[in-house]
Amino acid sequence: MTAAVSLRGIDHRFGALHALRDVSLEIAAGEYVALLGPSGCGKSTLLAVLGGFIAAARGTVLIGGRDMTGVAPARRPTTTMFQDYALFPHMSLRDNVAFGPRMAGVVRSARGARAMEMLDLVGLAAEAAKRPHQLSGGQRQRVALARALAVRPDVLLLDEPLGALDLKLRRAMQDELKTIQRHVGTTFVHVTHDQEEAMAIADRIVVMNAGAIEDAGPPDRVYRRPATLFAADFMGEMNHIPAKATPAGLVTPFGTLDLPVPGTGPAMLCIRPEALGTGPGLALGTARIRDAAFFGAHWRAQLSPDCAPDLVLKALLPPNEVPVAGDTLTLRADLATMCVFMEG
Amino acid sequence: MMRMLPFVYLAGVFGFIYLPIATLVLFSFQDGTLPVPPFAGPSLRWYADILGDDALTEALLNSLLVGLGSSAVAVALGFLAAYGLARHRVPGASFLRGMLIAPLTVSYLVIGLGLLILRTRIGGDLSLWTAGIGHVVINLPLCFAILAASMDARHENAERAARDLGAGEARVILLVTVPMLMPAILAAFFLAVTLSWDEFIIAFLLTRFDVTLPVEIWSMLRSGLSPRLNAIGSLVFLVSATLVLALELLVLARQRA
Repeated sequence: MTAAVSLRGIDHRFGALHALRDVSLEIAAGEYVALLGPSGCGKSTLLAVLGGFIAAARGTVLIGGRDMTGVAPARRPTTTMFQDYALFPHMSLRDNVAFGPRMAGVVRSARGARAMEMLDLVGLAAEAAKRPHQLSGGQRQRVALARALAVRPDVLLLDEPLGALDLKLRRAMQDELKTIQRHVGTTFVHVTHDQEEAMAIADRIVVMNAGAIEDAGPPDRVYRRPATLFAADFMGEMNHIPAKATPAGLVTPFGTLDLPVPGTGPAMLCIRPEALGTGPGLALGTARIRDAAFFGAHWRAQLSPDCAPDLVLKALLPPNEVPVAGDTLTLRADLATMCVFMEG
Repeated sequence: MMRMLPFVYLAGVFGFIYLPIATLVLFSFQDGTLPVPPFAGPSLRWYADILGDDALTEALLNSLLVGLGSSAVAVALGFLAAYGLARHRVPGASFLRGMLIAPLTVSYLVIGLGLLILRTRIGGDLSLWTAGIGHVVINLPLCFAILAASMDARHENAERAARDLGAGEARVILLVTVPMLMPAILAAFFLAVTLSWDEFIIAFLLTRFDVTLPVEIWSMLRSGLSPRLNAIGSLVFLVSATLVLALELLVLARQRA
């Protein structure tokens, strides 16, 4: 009930829009992968290609080692969970969940039992006789999940499944999705534009932009050591400091830093707000506090380094030291937390 | 005084709409040979008279047959056209859509004459079949318009999900699309039945020996006014009102739920 997925050289255009540019991606069996990116980046198109709803102009789709490129959605070992749930409004929850087994020719009693098993998995066995319109958004979400899993797919495709839920419910459903995925062992491919959601659920995050993969890896690696500037920015807040790469190191307003540089020329030094502060690390000179706001776990401060007064840096400072606007502090950061990207 | 004005207006409007029908129904119970004041009765003799009239009851059954049959065909064809145009990329789709709805603007007389000329060309007898075909022609655009308007993306996603879960095209339509669109399908069907039920011109032009009720009533009218006609009119009104009520209860109440 699980399979590896291999997308090779997928290329597709919608008229003038180059939706997917020669995308290749390997997904291991039982892996939970999040396709992350802004709207229009091609993540949903890639999912639709994987599900068989869009036939890509070029490229191969392998599922469990078998070529599925020209195979219809129904004949693929994939099921899609749609953003608007797409439940059948005229059927009870049990009949909704039993629909897939019914199409597969499973006899009534067996598919009823299967439906109840799946509804039990998502905690809705007691509501089996209800209609979808009697449920809350979160419950409909669970029914859609149960219905998709009832056909025992090798790969479950989730298209922004939590987009319609409010924040609190979304966080709760993320934990639940992950728990259920661990339980059934099915490969999950989950499309989202919310990087926190991607980090909360995925074994591996695939960051996409303009039809191409920018970065792919475990959440912490993609967050800490992003492959591209786009991935760095999309995964969370980032301080951008213009710099220049030379053979001697990176020339920055703070001096020449001993960082590995990928070439020579104009570059961008990136530091996460939480890596910038007054703690241990390399001293970067003094900075003036412009503004600060309290967020419970930290103070979020806007700083201007004295060596580059026009630059505004965001930093997360410890909650017990009240930053006062106008004060100066010594800015420090660990070299290991910095990333350098070449410009252009 | 000014505050009473809206109510006076309201009473006036409803009086204008319903007074003729009320008069018609009242004088169907007339115990005399003329449906004019003074009212004598009430009496059910005219109802007994028309229900005992074989030609009339036959015309009534014919009307039901033509109405139900032609409406079923019109709804089925309208559904398939709306489904095809909504779900598949068809070359010239907007032109086809326009052509399907355009007959709504053509007068029944013109459609009836056209069908009559066509019938003369290709031969065949005038019968309930030809009247039924005529009613399909006038009701198809209406059924298509109602059903096309009710198909939206939400339905399409459910169909996509059904296909993804292994349903073939026929089962997608039968198990998902049709049940989801049932309110619109019933609305189109009842509306088509009501229109066919009291349609006169086409039925008049396209029938000969077996006729529908409006044609039978028209032939009776030629022999002058009689409470019989009032009784028939009341029955026709009862059937139409029942259909509209059924539509309201079955379809609109379900949509609100």
